[in-house]
Parts: sequence; C-alpha cells; structure tokens
Amino acid sequence: MTIPLWHNLMLNPLAAFGILLALGVIGGQIAVRVARLPAITGYIATGLIIGPYSLNLLNQQLLNEASLFVQLALGIALFEAGRRVDLRWLRVEKTLLATTLLYCLLVFASLFALLNASGFGAPASLMLAALGMATSPIVVLEIVRESRADGQVSERLLTATALSSLLAMAGFALALSYTHLSADHSVEDGILMPGWLILGSVALGLVAGLVTTQLNRWLGGHQREAQRVLLFGLIALLVGAADMLQLLALLALLVAGMSTRTLRHGYTVSEPGILSLSHVFTVAFFVSAGAHLSPQALASHWQLALLCLILRSGIGMLVWWLAARGNGLSRKQGAWLGLALSPMNSGSALLLGLGMVSLGEAAQSFSAALMAALLINEIAAPILTRLALRLAGETAGASHA
Amino acid sequence: MLEFTQSQPLTLGVELELMILNRRDYNLTRGSDDLLLQVDRKPHGFDIKPEITQGMIEIGTAVHSDVNAMLEELLAIRKLLVDSAHKLNLGLAGGGAHPFQHWDDQRIYPKERYQLVSELYGYLAKQFTVYGQHIHIGCPDGDAAVRLTHYLARYIPHFIALSASSPFYQGVDTSFQTSRLTSVNAFPLSGCMPVVDSWSAFNDYFERMEALGIVASMKDFYWDIRPKPEYGTVEIRICDTPLSIETPVLLAAYAQMLARRCFEEEWNDICSEPYLTYSYNRFQACRFGFDGVMVDARTKQQQGLQEDLLDTLRALEPHAEALGSQRQLAALRQRALKCHSDSRWLRQIFEQSGSLSEVVRRQSEHWMYAEPGVGVN
Repeated sequence: MTIPLWHNLMLNPLAAFGILLALGVIGGQIAVRVARLPAITGYIATGLIIGPYSLNLLNQQLLNEASLFVQLALGIALFEAGRRVDLRWLRVEKTLLATTLLYCLLVFASLFALLNASGFGAPASLMLAALGMATSPIVVLEIVRESRADGQVSERLLTATALSSLLAMAGFALALSYTHLSADHSVEDGILMPGWLILGSVALGLVAGLVTTQLNRWLGGHQREAQRVLLFGLIALLVGAADMLQLLALLALLVAGMSTRTLRHGYTVSEPGILSLSHVFTVAFFVSAGAHLSPQALASHWQLALLCLILRSGIGMLVWWLAARGNGLSRKQGAWLGLALSPMNSGSALLLGLGMVSLGEAAQSFSAALMAALLINEIAAPILTRLALRLAGETAGASHA
Repeated sequence: MLEFTQSQPLTLGVELELMILNRRDYNLTRGSDDLLLQVDRKPHGFDIKPEITQGMIEIGTAVHSDVNAMLEELLAIRKLLVDSAHKLNLGLAGGGAHPFQHWDDQRIYPKERYQLVSELYGYLAKQFTVYGQHIHIGCPDGDAAVRLTHYLARYIPHFIALSASSPFYQGVDTSFQTSRLTSVNAFPLSGCMPVVDSWSAFNDYFERMEALGIVASMKDFYWDIRPKPEYGTVEIRICDTPLSIETPVLLAAYAQMLARRCFEEEWNDICSEPYLTYSYNRFQACRFGFDGVMVDARTKQQQGLQEDLLDTLRALEPHAEALGSQRQLAALRQRALKCHSDSRWLRQIFEQSGSLSEVVRRQSEHWMYAEPGVGVN
C-alpha cells in the first residue's frame, strides 16, 4: 500500500460538501460577530473566496457535483415561498396583487430600457429585465428566519416575492419565445418550447401539490415526523422530475407550494419548520452561489450592475411607499417593504443556460452582465433586506416603527 | 387612599383578550399594531387596545344593564375587527391559551407599563400571553364591592368550568381543562383578596402594601377577583376567553344574577374559613372542569361541581326573571347538564385532525364567523 501524497489528493464530492458547509458556517459567523452583517453575506463571501474564480479550493467540477444539495435547498425554499401565497387573501386584498404587478412591470420596463440603451439588444435585454423582476425567495426567507421578522411587512414581502418569481418566469419564457422567433428559429422552438416550459411546469406543480396533500391526509396529523420526511422526499422528487422532463423546477415548486396552501385539506401539509430543518442545504446553497460568482465579470459591468440594484430598490421603495395606505401600512413601512424586495433571484442563474442557447453571439455579454448584477446584489441586497425589516420594526429586538 | 367611584349597581361590562394569528399555520403573529392601525382608519367608538404582547388585543364593551345589548355591541366590534383582519390576512380567536406558540417568540408591546412589567417579571411577562375574559359588575360603594368580591369567591370554580378553553399549552395536552390559570399563578400577587370586611379595611391593607413598595396601583394585584375603584366595579378575572362570541355574555349574565342575589340578600358573611378550600376548589375546576369536586369548609361536605352549579342556577331563577335573563340562565343550565365545554370541543378536533394548527384554525373560524346561538358543542 502506498500512502497518498498531499499533492496527489483529490477532493471527492462529500469532502467538497463538507468544506462548503464548514467554511460557510465559519464565514457566516464572522459576518455576524465581527461585521454584524447577515450570515448569508458571510456564506456568499466564503464561496466567493474559495470558488473557482478566486482560490479555486472548490473547482467547477466539484461545484457541479455538489449542485444536488443546492437544488434541494432552492427547491425547499421555493416550495415554502409558494406556501406563503394565499390566493384566498389575494382575492380579497386586490391592492397587494395590483401593487406587486405594478412594481414588477415598472422594474421590467426600467431594466429593459437601461439594458437596451447599454447596447445589449432587445432579446438579451428582455431576458435580463424579466429575470430582474424576481426577488429571491431563498434570500428573503432566510433573512426573515434569521432576524425572526414577523408582521404585515414581512407577510406582504413574502407574498410579493413569490408572485414576482412567478411573473419573472412567465416573462422569461415569453422573452425566450421572442428571442427564438426573432432569430428565425423554428416555430416549435419559438412557441412550443416556452409553452411547454410554462404549462408543463405549472401542471407538474399542481400534480405534486395534489399528491402531497392527499398523501399527507392519508398519513394523518398524528404522524408528524413521517409527514416531514414525505414532504422532503416529494420536493426532491419534484426537482428531479422537472429536470428529467426539462421543465422549470423553480416554477413547478412555487406552484406546488401554492397549491398545497390553496387546495382542500392543504392544512395537512406540515407547516412549521421545513426550511429550518433544511438549514444545512441552505448554507451549502449560499456558499455555492458565492463560488459561482465571478468577480472578473465586475470589471466590465460593475456600473451597470450597480445601476440595476439602485433602480430596482428605488422603484420598489417608491411604488410600495405610494401604495402603503392601500396595503394597510404606514408610509414608512411601505418604503421599507419596497427596499426589502431588493435581492435578485439567484435562481436566475439556473435559467442562464436556456438563454445562452438562443442568444448566440450576445450570450457572452448577457452572461457577464447577469453575473455582475448577481454579484453586487448578493452581497448588498441581504443587508438591505435585513435593514428594511429592522426599520419596519418587524425583526426581533427592532426599534418600533 | 383609594376613592371608590360610585356606579349603577348590577351594570355590566366585559373585556376580552383575543389571539392574533397568521393564517398560514395559525401561530400567533406580531399583529396588534397593524390591526390597530387598520381598525383606527374607520371612525368607531369602541374600546380596542393592545395587550402585554403583540400577539394579543383586548376589546371592551361599554357599560350595559341588558346583556342582549351587550351581545349586540360585541357583534359590532367583531364585525369591525374581522373586516380589518381580512385586509391584513390575520386570524382572530378566543381560547385561554394558544396551543402551540412558544413563549420566547412573543414580543412585549412597547408601552411603558408593559416594559416595566417585563423588567420586573422577566420571562413571566412573555408567558403571560394568555387570554382571559374580565367581567365588571357595578357596585354602589366600596363596602358593597368588598362584600361582592368575597361572595363571588365561592363561585369561582363555576366560572372556570363554564369558560375553560385552554387544554393545550406549548404544543401538548396539559390534561387540564384550563391551563391558562397556571400562568397567572406564577405572579406573586395572584390568588385572592385578603379577608378584609370593608372598604376602609381594604384601604389600610393597600396603603401598607404601597408603603412597603410592593404595589403602586390596583393593577399590580393579579387576583382572580378584585375591586376596581376607578370604575366603581368588582372585576372577575378568572375566565378563559370563550371560543364563541356569545359565551362571554352568558358568563356576564351569570355574574349579574349572582351579584343581584348578594345585594338583595344583603349578604355580609365575610370570614376566612371558605378560603381554606379556595385554592383546592379552583384547582379541581381547572383540572377536571364540570367533573371536579367542591369542598365546603364550613359544612365539611363535598359536592360535584356540576351538581353545585345546577343547584346555584336553580336558586338564581327569580333573579334571572327580575333581570330578564331567563334565556341566558337556560343556556347555562344546558351547558352544565351536558357538560359542554370549549376544551372538550378543542380536544375532539385534535383527536380527529392530529393537528394543533387545525385546532386553532377551527377556533378562529368560529370566533370570527359563527352566528350567535351556534355553540361549538
């Protein structure tokens, strides 16, 4: 037997996952204790430092191999975000729906105008603007959990977050369709593919919601542990099935969560704590998200990325400030809610591949711009969201708004 | 010296502490500020205010002679609250304690008095996230208030059994009919008023306690029944908030009948002996509800609580007639005969669903939407 030498050692996926978690937790604690920042910021910074674009402690291959855990984390977060959307409430509380729609529309239009004027061309600008509408459910949920935020601002923030993700995915599919058609691709590519993406994902989500509800009902509330394990399994299955069917797992999970909230007997789906149980995956998700970020992308696009962040946050604050009264909030609370919507959906990166295929030559620039926007956003936005919730008086120990 | 404000004898007012819930998993939510902001956007003359933690709100009626008018007012307050709660997607519910909230998650309302209570009592303040009904009965003077307070002490187990609606606490079945009173017991000034026989004697006691720096006002006494000199009333504080909108009115009617008997018979038999068994009887009612026993220290007899309640209701018939409360007396008798209690209903739902979230959802639906006359049982 020969003893392996240090320079011959190769990290396997399990060791990579261990590094991801251990260094992530240390980074998170440094952020919390030293800089008094959200732990998320520490996770992302850790990823950024150890990722392939920096120290390369974790290379691209290992990151790909660890992506299973990342997808699970995202899946659980999206499912939980979907469960935060109460369709019965939205039927009564139309102001919330209208405000979210207006906010998304204005963000979309402004980002499109900005990107188009920056020379990205209509197809890439449309896609980026569509992705830019979405607030990140996983970031918002994690900040709400970490800061123990509770109240009307948090509740509306989570609903708006889930709705914006739904709109962004629909918008992205439409932009994809436009891109295919304008590039003279076949009609199948232009219409059937986006149609399949949207309708197929929604159908898959509905089926998953129905199955989840019925199985939980069959198990019964006295089998809480079994229900939790079942839910976890079904989410993993849904992520896998969406991948196999080449559907949008993000959309399917949101729809599944929403349907379990809305369907009869939906209460049987165990509610408290599925995200807190999956905290291991959440840490891995953020470290991995940080490792995927490329600081080099900032060189060419930092001004644009910064402008995108300011634009999204500014529009959010203005729209929700104006609509505060209608939403049962004070003006201040409205503005803070708008600011809290700042985190862009890092799940957008998963849609990158779809966009890249259809954009051809413009893909490189599209990818770099999205990376730059995500980098700035993922560092700054969690801080803004926590600050906003604190100023709204909803975090534990916050000053009263 | 505490001045006792004169009030119209036998007039009534009730206060109800209510749960504020999210409609996702029906846990308590920090909603009192948001709800009050929304409620106050419409002009109304109702008494709706925050309570010690932010998952609570308290409503109070005006002063009534007629319990039917009190029910009308409660229905109007409920409509205002429900409309506001819909806007914010909040649930409201009765019940003495939330079945699965964690006390550490609760936040003290930012009001000076509540902050002081929190500083003094530490975690007890957050554990005080329990929900009760208070009944005020008008008294002509302080001496009458002292007499009525002692008189009502004998009937405290009845009020407990009739209102019990907190069988679950911190996620488990406590095997009690009401777990709420255990939270109240933890306060050093809980229990019952000392055996004083007049308002001046009460004032002597109060002044001594004040001089010792233990109390500053009547609010510092967490007694089950206490005189409320600024209102000119005796306040019964033992009841859990019932699940239905009309049960508080039945309880108020019962208190009114008892008070009438006390005043009509000019009862003045104040002595320390009944207090020998006060805590034991109270425990029996909390633990077993209608199935508890009551021990009479004077006669050295034991009697089942249900039987004792039925006997008392029988004796109160002339007073119900005089007050026009025959319908309420009949409803109370039905409850006692069938041993119907909110706690039993809550346990049945948990048995069927296995979910405490579902239990709270059902109790919230009931408080918010059930018509009067539709009991939980």
